[in-house]
Amino acid sequence: MKNKRYNLLLIVGVTLLALWSLVPTWKEYSLGKQLEAFRSPQDSLNFVLSHRDEIEDARQKGLKLGLDLKGGMHLVMEVDQIDLFVQKAWNRDAKFDAIMEEVGLQAATTDADVIDLVSAAFRKQNIRLSRYFYDIRNSDAEIQGKLRKEATDALVRAREIIRNRIDQYGVAEPMITTQGNRKIIIELPGISDENRMRNLLKGTAKLEFRLLREKGALQRTLDAINAALPAPSSSGAPNGSSNDGLYRFVQVYGSDNAVVRAENRELVAGMLSRPEAVSQLPPDSELLLAARADEADDGGRLYAIYLVRKTAEMTGGVITEAKATFGSQGVQPEVLMSMNSEGTSKWARITGANIGKRIAIVLDGAVYSAPVVQSKIPNGNSVINGIQSLEEAKDLEIVLKAGALPAPVRIVEERTVGPSLGADYIRAGLQSLLWGFSAVVVFMIFYYRQGGLAADVALVLNVLIVLSVLAGFNASLSLPGIAGIVLTMGMAVDANVLIYERIREELAEGRSITSALSEGYDRAFSSILDSHVTTLAAAFLLYTYGIGPIQGFAVTLMIGTAASLFTAIVVTREIFRLLVSKNLMSSKSFG
Amino acid sequence: MRIFSNTSIDFLGRRKIAYAISFALLLTGLVSLAVRGLNYGIDFRGGSEVVLRFEQDLPVGELRTVMRDAGVSGTIKQYGMDRSFLLSTVFNGDTNELKSLISGALNSQLKGNPFEIVRIDAVGPSIASDLKWSAFKALGAALLAILIYVGIRFELKFAAAGVVAIFHDVLIVLGLFSLLGGVFEAMPLEMDQSIIAAFLTIAGYSITDTVVVYDRIRENIRNRKPAEYEQIFNESMNRTLSRTVITSCTTLLTVLVLFIFAGPAIRAFAFAVFAGILVGTYSSVFVAAPLAFEWIKRSKAPVKLRGSQKA
Repeated sequence: MKNKRYNLLLIVGVTLLALWSLVPTWKEYSLGKQLEAFRSPQDSLNFVLSHRDEIEDARQKGLKLGLDLKGGMHLVMEVDQIDLFVQKAWNRDAKFDAIMEEVGLQAATTDADVIDLVSAAFRKQNIRLSRYFYDIRNSDAEIQGKLRKEATDALVRAREIIRNRIDQYGVAEPMITTQGNRKIIIELPGISDENRMRNLLKGTAKLEFRLLREKGALQRTLDAINAALPAPSSSGAPNGSSNDGLYRFVQVYGSDNAVVRAENRELVAGMLSRPEAVSQLPPDSELLLAARADEADDGGRLYAIYLVRKTAEMTGGVITEAKATFGSQGVQPEVLMSMNSEGTSKWARITGANIGKRIAIVLDGAVYSAPVVQSKIPNGNSVINGIQSLEEAKDLEIVLKAGALPAPVRIVEERTVGPSLGADYIRAGLQSLLWGFSAVVVFMIFYYRQGGLAADVALVLNVLIVLSVLAGFNASLSLPGIAGIVLTMGMAVDANVLIYERIREELAEGRSITSALSEGYDRAFSSILDSHVTTLAAAFLLYTYGIGPIQGFAVTLMIGTAASLFTAIVVTREIFRLLVSKNLMSSKSFG
Repeated sequence: MRIFSNTSIDFLGRRKIAYAISFALLLTGLVSLAVRGLNYGIDFRGGSEVVLRFEQDLPVGELRTVMRDAGVSGTIKQYGMDRSFLLSTVFNGDTNELKSLISGALNSQLKGNPFEIVRIDAVGPSIASDLKWSAFKALGAALLAILIYVGIRFELKFAAAGVVAIFHDVLIVLGLFSLLGGVFEAMPLEMDQSIIAAFLTIAGYSITDTVVVYDRIRENIRNRKPAEYEQIFNESMNRTLSRTVITSCTTLLTVLVLFIFAGPAIRAFAFAVFAGILVGTYSSVFVAAPLAFEWIKRSKAPVKLRGSQKA
């Protein structure tokens, strides 16, 4: 037994380091307890103010709890690459749209690379990608490369915009990362209003200013579509009125107003997007529905239908500032926007040229308002009204400030845990830790006596090391992580079991306790090493290929297994050395 | 205290019986996998799950009726906690819509019994296929890594026998999941990510047990003739039997604690690991070592195990 001093120092050092890195965690806990003790909100506020740095520091360095324990949202969002590529195509025709739609369906159910899917689909039809993308002289491989770069850029931009939105909304410690070439992973601890968060995240925030078509065009178009569309249900008798597919749900009044009842909105939107309907539209035109319903005389809710030009006069890229406020009457929430210099001059030109006409303000394909241009607007100001609540106005402000996403994003995975369930999980986790620990400790003492006691000391240190490594590296502890610790406690004593069984064998062969100890440790070492390496390998792969919750499990399993190499071998050996030197051990020490 | 002191069980002599037992277990599992299949969780099939907790007791039938009337498709089951229910339905990409549908129906139909949505999990189909692939890759990579490491530290035949034992353990647990999937209301035993974690834990545990036996064989086999191998194998297994059983005991204890205390989210995982440790302990003695023995017996030449220690 050489390096006696060195080993002892190492153990003391590791223990102190582990305790030291857990100090902030303990502090955070005790500060929280103190805060709970205050009766009046004033007292607790004063306490928070006077201890602000301390609290902040403890929170930052303390052991973090995972989303499942604290409550929060884990979201995976996917950038719609199909939409992105359709935007990039310059020569779109029906065939192109058909192929892209088919690829879209494929992409929704696999994790295959979208660019590969697109290339394969075009190759199957014997069409070169250059017919639709970039330069006609480009080879397929070049275009794939360009699209791939486009996709990566879009992902990075989308991540930044989403980060902006979340920051402006105000979430403590969000985590936003990208995965692969189309996924964004968002972790939001302690969200109180998830619904609002979902709405805030999923909108593209594509703002457009579009001219309404001339007077009378709306009615003509709707008439044509009505005539072209067959009735939705074929059960009715084939008389004249049954051909009124659209007008069963849409009322037209005046020459330029058409509305649909709220309950039929989705249905009508579906009808208007059918090819028979689209083919009836005048060139460069599109039918859009209002974002908000108006109250009808009979108390129902009605959405207006607008016929607007397909090409936008201007897009939201020029917006520099947005502010949610109440309008002139002081009841209607609205969002004021100001533009950069380029936008300002363009806006002045557009408004100047279209006095008396209506310009629709369109956000993500829904019309918020379509005011009549009264005069030229020289200062680059604009306003969005037709907003339901101040909250919605605030969210609009956030998304407008953050800018538009390069392509739509969708939530493809979501895991939300409410705070009350989190508290349950914490209780369950603590109980498992306590009972798991007790079971192993009692078992070891019962079976190995003194030796078991030493192994138990090592086990305490092992758990301390796991927690302190998590705290020190800013990793968070989740319920699966706790499960990993509990499981590790059962497996960490394996090294001790191997050693002790070996020592018992050596003792049975009539060796002295000192030589049995040293033989036991030496001979058990190779199997301990091999068995730990294999466990570590499995845990490491779990960490590499697993996601979220599973990684938490893998991390604690890895740290615990690696730490047990130290605690179970070095620490227990040192304990026995001390005991032997004090003549406190005999051949009965291992049961 | 000791449970096994100086045992001399003829493990290899009984290997034919053990093979028969393993074969029967594997066959049962495989038949069940072919006939009943597996009960996939939303991680692998996609879908949405909502856990609702009510303030007062509520018969599950009543909740089912309310949800059916509201037009929420899917199944509703009692969840592992008090007054809680698990609603599983399809993934439609808009959780807000689902939530408002549920809240609207419950607020109007069950006014006297406030509820809380305590958990929502929604997994889209593309993610589900992604997760499935990751699971396969992780398991494949783990088996390969173990094969290589044990191959380097011992010998390829030993490594292969160890990997066969892992396959044996994972397949039996998989079969058990297929056989019992959906049988218990409180524990549906669905295949999800946590079960993959369980499989990898089982793989790690099983090879650990096997390696300990191998290690003792390696220690004893040096400079001995092939004729003595059977005796050496048996002796090594008997000598390590105590450790094998004790470690299994401590690990089983902690897994049992997880099963009881850690709540419904961990229950299926704990069940899988519990079964896996039982099978893994059995297989290290009755599958891995006997297979390695058969293999080296056939090759006739004396084995050379790497990494023998200089004791």
